[in-house]
Amino acid sequence: MHPDLDQQRSLARRLREMPDEAAQPYDWSEFQRRSGTRTRPGPGLAGARALAAATVLALGVVAVWTRLGGWSPTPPRPASVAAARLAPEATQPLAAHTAAMEHWLASLPSEPAVVHVGTRAAVTGLEDRIAQVDDLLSAARLDQAQPARLLALQQARTRLVGALVQVRYAETLADESR
Amino acid sequence: MTRLVEITVPDAVLARACAGDEEARRAIYAAVAPATLTLIRRIVGQRVVSEDLFQDTMMILYERLPQFRREAPLGAWLRQIAISRCLMYLRSPWKRLCLSLDPADFGVAAAGAALVTPGYRGESIDLERALAALAPTARAVVWMYEVEGYSHQEIACAFGRSVSFSKSQLARAHVRLRAWFEPQENRPSCTLI
Repeated sequence: MHPDLDQQRSLARRLREMPDEAAQPYDWSEFQRRSGTRTRPGPGLAGARALAAATVLALGVVAVWTRLGGWSPTPPRPASVAAARLAPEATQPLAAHTAAMEHWLASLPSEPAVVHVGTRAAVTGLEDRIAQVDDLLSAARLDQAQPARLLALQQARTRLVGALVQVRYAETLADESR
Repeated sequence: MTRLVEITVPDAVLARACAGDEEARRAIYAAVAPATLTLIRRIVGQRVVSEDLFQDTMMILYERLPQFRREAPLGAWLRQIAISRCLMYLRSPWKRLCLSLDPADFGVAAAGAALVTPGYRGESIDLERALAALAPTARAVVWMYEVEGYSHQEIACAFGRSVSFSKSQLARAHVRLRAWFEPQENRPSCTLI
């Protein structure tokens, strides 16, 4: 017989004759306990799926909102003059809502335990947009711009912070399920 | 070594387990768990990861037990689930990232030593070290072909690759394994003590 074939058969025989795993698996009660603590079919898979779905959803919301002209540095149209009269009252709940969201964001660690490139890109993109709106808001306040413009900028900021909260919340859920 | 594919469970026990009987499920666990963990350990290597995949495999077994058509032994069906879980793990981007970091950060020899099961003697340790020295994909192909009796066609299907992928992986692995067992100096071996 060809020596290579002989060696191959010998190797296969050796592998088949290897003893069982020396350490036995845990018992039935431990299996049940672990099954109870695990709610997902695979390590990290469900968390990753949830994170991916939430990220896609958040990005979709931001994309649609941007496409519809949600944020625009252009001055408000004359039609929003009526809204301008309501601006001081209208901005208060917005500011409170934004402050609550920012308080929650501030309580999170600056980065999750496991950093996903796609999610991080979405987070930094949103943070950049918020910083841009903050700049515009500061400039508008210094220029004593119309209240309608301030309201529009404040609304844009609230939406961006909301999108950021959704992404960070999904990130937190994925971390916890890991 | 008890092969998972040869393990059968009486129909009555299976029927009771499908109906949710705790004792029947416990009996199935006792019958298949050791061979399942051994199979996963051989393919994946690391004990901790193996236990994680073992837990997944057993949970899937009980979830899908009512779908088992009893056309083959329960062990053969479970083997499919276990191998599928192992290959999913080996294909995951996270695993590939870890593999790309391992040699630089910890050293191949250290990683190989960590894969040796405590309690093994002589040739078993040599074999386990030789398997650990293979790349994970090559190790899976060797085990599926040589021990589990899969054909190249079946291995190619499981990996989603061509038949020649399976053949070339096996051929290269054989070369490495043969080199491992040829007597050389400076190689840790328990059979030479």
